[in-house]
Order: sequence, then C-alpha cells, then structure tokens
Amino acid sequence: MNIKTRHIWLILLALFAIVLPLILDSPFARHVLIVILLYSILGEAWSILGGYAGLLSFGQAAFFGIGAYTSTFLLINWGVSPWIGMIVGGFLAVLAAICLAYPCSKLQGHYFAIATLAFAEGLRIIFLNWNAVGGARGLDPPILPTSLWYLEFHESKLPYYYLLVLFLAVVMLAMWKLNSSRLGYYLRALRESNNAAESLGVNTKNCKVIATCISAFITAIAGTFYAQYVLYIDPASVMQLKLSIEIVLVTMFGGVGTMFGPLIGASFLTSISEIFRVVLGGAGRGMDLMIYGLLIMLISTLKPDGVWGLVTERLGRRPGKEKAKTSGE
Amino acid sequence: MQSILQVSGLTKKFGGLTANDDITFEVNRGEIVSIIGPNGAGKTTFFNCLTGFQRITSGSVIFEGRRIDQLSAPAIAKLGLVRTFQIVQTFAGMSVAENVIIGALMHTRNVEAARKRAADVLAFTGLSSKKDVLGKNLTIADKKRLEIARALASDPKLLLLDECVAGLNPNEVKEAVELLKRIIGAGITLLIVEHVMEVIMPISSRVVVLDSGKKIAEGRPQEIAADERVIKAYLGDRYDA
Repeated sequence: MNIKTRHIWLILLALFAIVLPLILDSPFARHVLIVILLYSILGEAWSILGGYAGLLSFGQAAFFGIGAYTSTFLLINWGVSPWIGMIVGGFLAVLAAICLAYPCSKLQGHYFAIATLAFAEGLRIIFLNWNAVGGARGLDPPILPTSLWYLEFHESKLPYYYLLVLFLAVVMLAMWKLNSSRLGYYLRALRESNNAAESLGVNTKNCKVIATCISAFITAIAGTFYAQYVLYIDPASVMQLKLSIEIVLVTMFGGVGTMFGPLIGASFLTSISEIFRVVLGGAGRGMDLMIYGLLIMLISTLKPDGVWGLVTERLGRRPGKEKAKTSGE
Repeated sequence: MQSILQVSGLTKKFGGLTANDDITFEVNRGEIVSIIGPNGAGKTTFFNCLTGFQRITSGSVIFEGRRIDQLSAPAIAKLGLVRTFQIVQTFAGMSVAENVIIGALMHTRNVEAARKRAADVLAFTGLSSKKDVLGKNLTIADKKRLEIARALASDPKLLLLDECVAGLNPNEVKEAVELLKRIIGAGITLLIVEHVMEVIMPISSRVVVLDSGKKIAEGRPQEIAADERVIKAYLGDRYDA
C-alpha cells in the first residue's frame, strides 16, 4: 500500500469515527462505542509491553486504578480539574511502573505475568482497605455543571466519545512513531533474544522499564476518562483482575503487536459481550462471558495472529513479511 | 604493538568448579588471536566473562586502557568489544535487515542512518539478497553470517567470534573464511574461539590453548600444532606398547 492510498484510508477512517455516533444515536449504542474506545486505548497501551517487548502484563488494572483514583481524589478533595488530575495520575502510575518493572526486569514470560498480576492484586487490596480513598465503598466525583474543564457532560455522551477518539488517535500515532523508533526496534529485539540484544549494546533493563512506564501512563489517563464518564469508581470496577485479563484478551483477539489489532479486538468483543448481555438479560446470565471465551479459544487456535492477521493475509499487505515467507525456505 | 585487550589472572568459579583458572594474555591491535581447546576447556565461559555476560571471580580485564570486568554486557558492547554467540541468537521474527539495524543503532538514534549502515554491512557480508528474509527462515550458515553482520554493524574495535563456522559444510566453511579475511582486511581486531583447524591455522597471528580452564600454551599456529602439551590435551598421553 503506498502512502497516498494509506492517507485516503486514514481520512475515511477518521470520517467514519466522526459520523458513527451520529448514526448510532441511541445512548446504549454510544455507550458501547465509548467502551470500545476505552478498551482500544487500553489494548494499545498493553501492546507496548505484550506486543513489542514480549512482557505479558496481567496487572494493567493497577495503572488504570491509579489514574482513576488520583484524578477523582483530587477533584473531590481540592476541586482539581481532571485534566490536571490525569497528568498527576499518569505520573503516579509511572512511579508505580518503575517500582514494578525495575525489580522485575529480569523476569520473562510467565514470571513477569505473575509478578504484574500479584502487584495489581496487592494494590487492589490496599485500596479496598484504605479509608481515605473510600475503601470498598469507592469514590464518586461531585456532580458539577457540564464543562470541558471538569470533564463532565450530562446532556450527551458525544463529548466523551469525541475526546476518546482524539485520545485513541494520539495513542495510535505514538505507537506508529514507536514502531519506527530506536526504542521500538530495541523492544522487538529483546523480545526475540535478550542476550543478543545485550550483546549489541541494548540496555534491556532500561528499555523494559521505559516500556512499562509508557504503558502505565496511557493506561492511567484512560482510567481518569473512565472515572469521569461513569462518575463512580471502586476497587471492584477499576482495579480488578477481570479488567487486566480483558485488556489482554482484546489485544490477543485483534492481533498482538499490530496497530489496529486492539481496535478490532475491542470492537468485536465489547459489542458481542454488551449485546448478549442485553439480549439475554437475566435469563442468560454469564452467557456473554461464555461466548466471549469461546471466541478467544477459536481465534487462538485457528489464527494466533489475531483477526488483524487474518485481514492483512487476505489483502496481501505487509509486503516485507509476505516476501519473507516465500523466499525463506 | 599496542595492546587492545589485557586479561590478567582471570578466574571464574561456579561453586566448586573452576571454569577459568588464572588466565593471562593480551591481544594487540590488528591481531587475529584464536582460542582453542577441547570441549569443556572453558572457552565460552571465557568469552562470557570478557563481555560481561558473567561476572569474573577474580582477576581483571582491561580494554583500551579501561577496566571493564565490572561493567554490564551492553556497556561493554558500547565500548566496542562485541561478541557473537556459539548457539546463534538470531532475532527470529525480524528480517535480516532489521537484525542488522539493531546492531547499527548502537551508535546512532537515527533509524534512517542505521538502515543505511545496515545496507552497507549486508553488502559487505554478502547478505543483501536475503535482506527481507525473516531470521528464523535462514540456513544455519546464513544465521552464523548474520550474527557476524549484526556485530559488524555496531562498528566494533574488537570482535569476539564464538565458533562461527561450527556445523557448516566444507563449502560454507570456505565462504566463512573468505568473510573473516575481509573483516581482517577492514582492520578489525579478532578474537576467535574455534574448533576447526583449517580456519584457525591460515588466519591466526597467535593461538592460545585452554585445557580444563587453564592456559596451557600460546604461540604461533605452527608452534602450537607441534606443542607436546597441546597434543596431550587433545589426544592424551603417548601410548607405549
């Protein structure tokens, strides 16, 4: 695909994103779209670790929670705008990421996964028992008049939607930049062989810590958006293991280490789970999760590259990779 | 001649096992030094110690006048002491060109500059035609060649090659030796661990022999080939019927 057609595709995609909520104008449809965007952003952030560096994080909920709690806490206690709160939350999440990644940077594969999982669960239990942040009751930001400055919109979901579209666009642009940067190359190299990377002067420890920090920062900002959208947070909603796992699954389903993978994964899985929950209602309690699980099993056995892998294969894109397959023997 | 690497009293112990025992020698700039020895002599451990992949128990390693035995592996590589691996460590999911770009990125942040440098190195090592092939799809000979190309891209002052022709067929060995000669021609100092004598003998300026972790001989290739201790290390004591 040459640059020109790529530009046209991107413009069409942007137009689609702008028009979509105007066509799907029911509050429920818009809610689903917002959830899709949130998961896409979280999936992109996870992808930096899981896709590029090969570090499987099962603790993204920790960063999400830190972001959500920080901005909400600051808003409730000092009336600080969530815009400032999200930056503070982002940096606190970076701090947590350093505390997690620095000692864990020697761990690989399952061990890194277990460490991140334990970290997030530990943090959840601290928040569950911490009265200053509401403990198990959680926190609810004050209901303020609609304003961009306080990130509260009561009349319509559209502002949330467009802000998240913008956020996702920025994150995807950052991923695209990362892909062709030295850090991007280094992360892929250390995923393939830590020793070889080190033998070529790659400070793998620093690279892993930096990747975790970027991922944590983005995830925390998404946490603030969530808190301001739902206007209620507690450890069970923003810090639980289920969230961490869903972030992994969405990305795996769509395609690990690809730019559009998380978006596709989130679109499929979120709509399916939301629609089934509504259609089946009380009668099929848990059915949405069963179908969700079945889809994951199918894609991971039939197409480990994810749905995006399927798409690129059909369209015969990624010329480099295709050539590689045929001339390699 | 000016020395580039000075190893003195290098000792590496794994618990009760002494893998490297008081090894002392020097490599001069522009020289080709080979390390030989029977299996288990401690050659790879020695390489690991020099390049920071393992901490030495005692002794010192000085590279270009600077003590490096406490530095990390990437820090040592950045100084210009770069190694390859006996068991090839290709970045399997990346193309040949990308593999080499990683090496070229050592001294530049600019990916475009690294790409150009990689293209030069690919041409030098004869891998240009395979630049888009994924690392995992290469033959073993090409993987070994890629190991060298990647290291060369990082512009090493001293290149440590760990058995870069082991497992190759005679034809591939010949090609590998051609490449080594070109590298020498480019003025890079080489320290080679190798089993295959037909590689070592014609190109080495000096040979160091390890046995059971100790240095048992050092000298010109012809001297080494005739050395009693070396023959004994490889073949055992003379048998008198």
